[in-house]
Amino acid sequence: MDTTLWRAALVTVSPAGVLMAGERHERVLAMLSAGSEGKVSARGLCEAVTAVLGVNGTGVMLMSGEVAYGSLCTTNEITKMIEELQYSLGEGPSVDAYNQDRVIAEPDLADPVAARWSAFAAAALQVGARAVFAFPLRVGSVRLGALGLYADRPGYLSDDQHADALVVADVVASWVLDTQARAPLGGVAAALDSDADFHLVAHNAAGMVSIQLGVSVAEAMLRLRAYAFGHGRTLTSVAEDVVERRFRFE
Amino acid sequence: MAREELVVRALVEMADSLVGDFDVVELLTGLASRCVELLGISAAGVMVATVKGDVRLVASSSEAMRVLELFELQAEEGPCLDAYRSGEPVDHLILNAGSDPWPRFSVAALEAGFQSVSALPLRLRDITIGALNLFSVGVAPMSESNAVVARALADLAAISIIQHRVADEHQRTNEQLSYALNSRIIIEQAKGIIAERAGVDLSEAFDRLRGYARDHNRRLTEVAFAAVDGTLDPDAWSGARAPRGPRA
Repeated sequence: MDTTLWRAALVTVSPAGVLMAGERHERVLAMLSAGSEGKVSARGLCEAVTAVLGVNGTGVMLMSGEVAYGSLCTTNEITKMIEELQYSLGEGPSVDAYNQDRVIAEPDLADPVAARWSAFAAAALQVGARAVFAFPLRVGSVRLGALGLYADRPGYLSDDQHADALVVADVVASWVLDTQARAPLGGVAAALDSDADFHLVAHNAAGMVSIQLGVSVAEAMLRLRAYAFGHGRTLTSVAEDVVERRFRFE
Repeated sequence: MAREELVVRALVEMADSLVGDFDVVELLTGLASRCVELLGISAAGVMVATVKGDVRLVASSSEAMRVLELFELQAEEGPCLDAYRSGEPVDHLILNAGSDPWPRFSVAALEAGFQSVSALPLRLRDITIGALNLFSVGVAPMSESNAVVARALADLAAISIIQHRVADEHQRTNEQLSYALNSRIIIEQAKGIIAERAGVDLSEAFDRLRGYARDHNRRLTEVAFAAVDGTLDPDAWSGARAPRGPRA
């Protein structure tokens, strides 16, 4: 019996990047690393992903359990807002892709295929997104977050784009873990940190509001989010007002 | 079912269970049993190298004490240890106490009722991580087609063990990342708490947090956690410093 056949089959179903083979994987990897001279930044990776997939923008959201940490990188103001909105509102394609562990596609936020994201959909449309897609970031059974893509025109990804995006999500997820594996003990790898927005100002504000209201920090964060939502603002801008003492919760 | 079909089915079943979370011992125990069913042998065991450079049993087709002891013996000598150390197969060998390379092992194997033995290294590319041991109550060597299947099963065992180790490593790295980010969040929250309590800005709040941790020989994250928890000493935010000099 020829063992090369089953060996090939085994290698393609293997979930870990280390054992993955195949022409598409090779091609995507070559495109993503082109011009990087072996040194990849989160921002550089996001930009390469945007170019490889032919979309308008990319954001990488990092999550764990119930907690969204923030974005490793975004490619423009619109992706920055898409990520920020999801962080503020706790809903959206990347949040769903992570929580449901599956690919999420909304080809037209103006005429959605499913009634969801009542707050996110309108806000994302307003900042300039029309179609949004999100792919879970995972390495084997380890779930890291989601790769978010948007287009300024309605429509699904082509079969080819979709297949490439699955590979891209694998590459990005492996890159995150490989990079963190070399981090100093107790710290976050510098390459994961340098382009990231972990919403630190929101946590500063939550600490302050917890004292202002005499509530827990978690409750204070909920109050900040509710206030931002109620006033059509982002969490970051409300948090900045709190930290700069332009606004207090009483 | 045709034999070839049985082989393919077994391989596909095992390859399939490699996706996502899997129990490596369960998978390898299944693999050892498949060896017995498919290869016309009597017992099989998967042994994996330890950091000390010897080999330990991780899965066996048989739970019989006399068989398990044969694997235990191979921490010191035996076909598994040889296959692991050389990275080459130990070809079918008819046991004959006294005239083969592993006197103690041979005696025990013959006493357990086995007449012949072989071992295949568990190898992925250049890395050898253990060996697959095959025992037979007969003296006939494996057919050529069985030898190919045995090689495939050994490769599958190697891949699943390596896959499992990689998955463990990934899990650990992800936990470290979460820990680092959670610590940072708690420190930022504590800065906000101290800034609000003391009426100072965030950078002064951080100085006080850090100063308090240093003066009391406590870790920054630990002090920050106490601030978030509401259990922190008010000295931490008032800016009062512990007296200098030796501490009790």
